[in-house]
Amino acid sequence: MVPIEYYLVLSAAVFSIGLYGLLTRENALLFLMSVELMLNAANINFVAFSLQWGNLTGQVMSLFVIGLAAAEVAVGIGIILVLYRNFKDVDVTLPQSMRW
Amino acid sequence: MVGAFDYAPAIVLLPFLSFCLAVGVALSGRDLLPKGGALPGIAATGGSLLLSAWVFLTVSGGETYNETIYTWAAGTEATGSLSQPLELTFGLLLDPLSAMMLLIVSLVALLVHVFSLGYMNDENETGLPRYYAGLGLFTASMLGFVVADNLLMAFMFFELVGLCSYLLIGFWFRQAGPPSAAKKAFLVTRFGDYFFLIGVVAVFATFGTAQFAGEHSFPHLAEQAINGEATVNTFLGLGPEAWFTAIGLLVLGGVIGKSAQFPLHTWLPDAMEGPTPVSALIHAATMVAAGVYLVARMYGFYALSPTALAVIALVGAFTALFAASMGLVKNEIKQVLAYSTISQYGYIMLGLGAGGYVAGTFHLLTHAFFKALLFLGAGSVIIAMHHNEDMWEMGGLKDKMPVTYYTFLAGSLALAGIVPFAGFWSKDEVLYEALVHGLGTTSGLGTALLVAYGMGLIAVLFTGFYTFRMVMLTFHGEPRSETAEEAEEGGWNVKLPLTVLGILATTVGFVNMVPVKDLTGAEIDFLHKWLYGTEGAGWAEALGTGGGHYHHLLFADYGAGMAAADLPSYLVGLLSLALALFGAGSAYVLYGGADPEPHTEKLGSLREVLYNNYYQDEYQVWIAERLVLPLSKVADTFDQAVVDGVVNGVSSVSLFGGSKVKKVQDGLVTHYAAMLTVGLTVLLVGFAIYGGWF
Repeated sequence: MVPIEYYLVLSAAVFSIGLYGLLTRENALLFLMSVELMLNAANINFVAFSLQWGNLTGQVMSLFVIGLAAAEVAVGIGIILVLYRNFKDVDVTLPQSMRW
Repeated sequence: MVGAFDYAPAIVLLPFLSFCLAVGVALSGRDLLPKGGALPGIAATGGSLLLSAWVFLTVSGGETYNETIYTWAAGTEATGSLSQPLELTFGLLLDPLSAMMLLIVSLVALLVHVFSLGYMNDENETGLPRYYAGLGLFTASMLGFVVADNLLMAFMFFELVGLCSYLLIGFWFRQAGPPSAAKKAFLVTRFGDYFFLIGVVAVFATFGTAQFAGEHSFPHLAEQAINGEATVNTFLGLGPEAWFTAIGLLVLGGVIGKSAQFPLHTWLPDAMEGPTPVSALIHAATMVAAGVYLVARMYGFYALSPTALAVIALVGAFTALFAASMGLVKNEIKQVLAYSTISQYGYIMLGLGAGGYVAGTFHLLTHAFFKALLFLGAGSVIIAMHHNEDMWEMGGLKDKMPVTYYTFLAGSLALAGIVPFAGFWSKDEVLYEALVHGLGTTSGLGTALLVAYGMGLIAVLFTGFYTFRMVMLTFHGEPRSETAEEAEEGGWNVKLPLTVLGILATTVGFVNMVPVKDLTGAEIDFLHKWLYGTEGAGWAEALGTGGGHYHHLLFADYGAGMAAADLPSYLVGLLSLALALFGAGSAYVLYGGADPEPHTEKLGSLREVLYNNYYQDEYQVWIAERLVLPLSKVADTFDQAVVDGVVNGVSSVSLFGGSKVKKVQDGLVTHYAAMLTVGLTVLLVGFAIYGGWF
């Protein structure tokens, strides 16, 4: 059996890649993908601990996270569509009017 | 059985209704009421008069009424050494004193309403609904004050009376004088009322009740406290006697303001700017009478304090002399009457302070009638003279206005105190009480009363002089102007009130002819019996507001500690009668000719001082401008700099901080994400360090 540490390192790596993408990219679609990566890093953790403790709760939680991610994508795509309609682009640095 | 007392609240409410009606009409802006609202006012005051007469008859049958009608706030716990919690109430107290006063007030108010038909309506004044609204509210508040059964309710109506005087004195608000006179009257009386308000609070704090009469009334509790039969709260480390004196003097502040006693008398001569019927109402029955009535109302309290009595007597006597001396040189008929009012209320105060409860009340009664008469007579003259009030332009009105002349003469004889007119009997009883109590009492109070008697006696001379100077200049001699030559008397609405009051001013003194009683032994001191009640039984015992009880307090060791010397009252009366006759006679000699000289001019600089009212206004303005104004400026500076500075400082710190921190919100979503990340990292590192994960 693969030890739990391997899963955790994998999960941390995926989460960090997602966070890096979120902080560096300007394309809104890449934003969505980065968020997916971070959510799935969490899923890996859930499933890994579920296997470790022989408990199904973690796997159930990951199903919820997948459902949540689908809903989030639906909303995110809507926002991106509006963004494109207003700026002819999907660059998140363009809208800056919501400030002091 | 439904009796007079069940309808007693209507005495107050009827004029109030007429006020509401007149205000409604005034607001509607249309001429809905015939005579501009006079008729509802006459009907209302007439109704009040009938009900007052009914109450008077019921009270004379030996019944009294002292009930709380409405409790509008009640405490839950007694404070200090009091036995019961506070209650703030409205109620009625109908005893011989208030029944008598109700009759005076409603009668004078009715006659003033009738006279106003001649003075205001026939002269085509505008704004009549406003005028009659003011009169209605004025009457209602005074009647409410008279029937009040506790000090707080009395204070409220006292203030209402002040408000109404403000509204009515300033009735002709488009001219320059009346608004300023109205403000002065309001402010000066308010100044006294501050002390009164503190006194009301002090009464509540001390006794837990402000009832005037009955077992749980504050005069009764004060008496028990001095006897050691009850405990009350006292403050400032004073004993009961000293503390009660302090309360009495505080309440007296309001009395001095309203009754125009020295040094707060300055508003009253200026109040002559109002319409003359209003002056009659203010001076005879309402505003000015309210002050002395309050002293009579809580006489059981004042009778316990020799100091307060001495202050009342001295202030009264000094005011009587002081105002009479100023009245000597005035040229305007209403000014002479104004100073005579101040002077006569001084006599009432002197009577009350000298232990003459009946004498003071008696003078209040007679003065109400003869002063209302004199003012309405002056009003009649002023109508005929087309609102010229200078007596040097009058003269010779005697034959042209016979009704006015003879009634005015009756009022003047009463004012000067010539036998057998009303003022003689009451003024001489006041002076008699001052003299016998002054001679009999050995303490400082006795000396004070003797000094007060001396001042009162000199004022009698002055009164006789200025009264007949006024009569001679106005009615005798030759007309000194064209208007005076063409003067005509008004209609029935002028003559009727004058006649009624003329008869009263002549005869009302007969209700209490003490000198005649002393001479003949006939039991004709009806007012004494009326105010004393049956000793030891009936209302006098239950309410504790009988003259007998006050007499007991005045002479008791724990009270004022007075004693009376044995003097025949007719001798004392003869002395002041001689002085009054001398004053009146010298005025007759000096001003009786066809074309009198202005003799007071010969007084030179003394006349200047008198004519300028001893520069009272000037020094009060000086106090206001030189002392109060700088003080207020310092307070204003403190408020602006320190109080506002702290508030503004706090807000500017927040504003400055906010203006800097808000830059964080720059609208770039990546920056927000970065901040979230940094924040999370900082939190994690923080927890790690404090949680000891490393």
